[in-house]
Amino acid sequence: MSDLSELLSAPGASVETDADFDAVNAYVMEKGWGDGLPVVPPTEERVAAMLQFCDRPWDQPIAKVAPRWGEATPLRLAANAVMAGCRPEYFPLYMLAIEAMCEEPLNLYGVQATTHLCAPLVIVNGPVAKELKINGGHNAFGPGWQANATIGRAIRLALLNIGGAIPALGDMSTFGSPAKYSYLVAENEAESPWEPLHVERGLPKDASAVTVIGAECLHNVNDHESITAEGILLTIAGTMAVTGSNDVYYAAEPLVIMAPEHAKLVASRFSKAEAKQFLQAHAHIPMGRFSPENIERRLQVTFKDVYLEAPPEEPVYAVKRAEDLLIAVIGGAGKHSAFVPTFGATKSVTRALKTANGELAKSVQDFRR
Amino acid sequence: MSDLRKRGLTTAVICSGPFLKLGQAQARVFGVPDLPLLVIPHPLGGITLDDVRGRADHALPQVLKLIQESAE
Repeated sequence: MSDLSELLSAPGASVETDADFDAVNAYVMEKGWGDGLPVVPPTEERVAAMLQFCDRPWDQPIAKVAPRWGEATPLRLAANAVMAGCRPEYFPLYMLAIEAMCEEPLNLYGVQATTHLCAPLVIVNGPVAKELKINGGHNAFGPGWQANATIGRAIRLALLNIGGAIPALGDMSTFGSPAKYSYLVAENEAESPWEPLHVERGLPKDASAVTVIGAECLHNVNDHESITAEGILLTIAGTMAVTGSNDVYYAAEPLVIMAPEHAKLVASRFSKAEAKQFLQAHAHIPMGRFSPENIERRLQVTFKDVYLEAPPEEPVYAVKRAEDLLIAVIGGAGKHSAFVPTFGATKSVTRALKTANGELAKSVQDFRR
Repeated sequence: MSDLRKRGLTTAVICSGPFLKLGQAQARVFGVPDLPLLVIPHPLGGITLDDVRGRADHALPQVLKLIQESAE
C-alpha cells in the first residue's frame, strides 16, 4: 500500500489552493467540478480519514465510469466523498454503489449520456443500511438525512468528475432531473411484509447490498379508498400504464415502491411474485392510445409479431414479463405507493458488500484499516 | 466503431449538431481522435419520413467524400 502523501505527489493527483472554504469553492466552480453546490474542501487530512474505511489499494481502479470511462480509484472517490459531505464510515457503501452501477447490464453509458432524464437510483438493503442510518421511512427520498443526501451526492460527483457526465457534453439529458443531485434510499425492511429486495435476489438476509436502477424520479400513486389488495394493485397498475414511457419499448425493469400501509394490505392476499403477476397483467393501455407514428415506427417495428396486424384495442403492456418488475417497500405512514419508470435500455444490478478478501461484510467497521 | 477504425477501415459517425461534442469526446476516449464526425441537422427524431430522407441527403455527400478521400 502506497502512502497517501506519496500518491498525492504523483502528477495530476492533487492541486494546491488556499485552504480557505471560499477560495476552494471559487476554484472548484471555476474548474466546473461538481454539481453546482458548495463542496467540503477535500484536504489531505479529510481524504485520509475517508480512506481509513477502504481495505483495498487506494490507487487501483475499482471501476471505469462512463461516458469518459474515467478510472474510479479509491483515492479519487474519497476526494469526491469528502466534497459531498460524507462521513468516513459511508465510504465502503459508496464504493459498492459505484462498482455496481459500472457493471455492464446497467448500461451506465446510456444512462449517463442519454437525452432521457434518468439517474442511477440506489436502494440499500441489509444491516449496514441501519448502521449508517440510511433512511427508508418517512421522506426517504429527502430531504433531511445525511447518509441519503451525501452518499447520493458523492455518487453524482463521481459521475460528473470521474465519469465526465458534464451537462450538454457527456450528459445530454433534455431536462436533467432533481434525482441527478442525489438518489439513494434504504428499503424499509422492518415494515415490509415480504422478503427484502436483496434476499429476493439470492443474497442472505444478513448480507448488506445495493440495487442500482437506471431510473426516473418516482411518480406518486394515491389510493386512500381501496380496502382490498386487488384495489391497491389496480390503482398502481393504472398509474404504470402510460404512452410516453421508455419502458414500453424495451424488456424493461421498472420499479413499484409501496409504502408499508399499501404493502401490508397487498400482502394480505398476495406474495410479492403474485403481486408482480397481477400488476403485469393489469398495467396496459390499448394500442390505439398511441400516436399513429409511434404505432408504425416503434410498436410495429420493435414488436412486429404482436402489433403489425393488431386492432386498436390490442393491449400494450407497461412491463413485458412479471418477473422483470421490481417491488420495494419504502416510505412512512400514508396511503401511497409510487411508480418509478426507467431508461428502458438498462438492467438493475444487485451487489453485496464484501471486504477485500471476498467475505460478506457484517459492518462497515470490517473495512477499517 | 473505434475498433473498426483502428483496423484501418474507412469509418465515420453521423450525428446531429448537439451531439458533436459528445462524439468528439468519445472519439478521444476510445483512442481515435481523428474519427470523422459527419454532422446532419438536428433533430433526427420526431420528423416526417421525407425529412428523414432529407437528413440522408445531407449525410450522403459527406460519406461519399470520405470514401473518395480514403481511396486516394
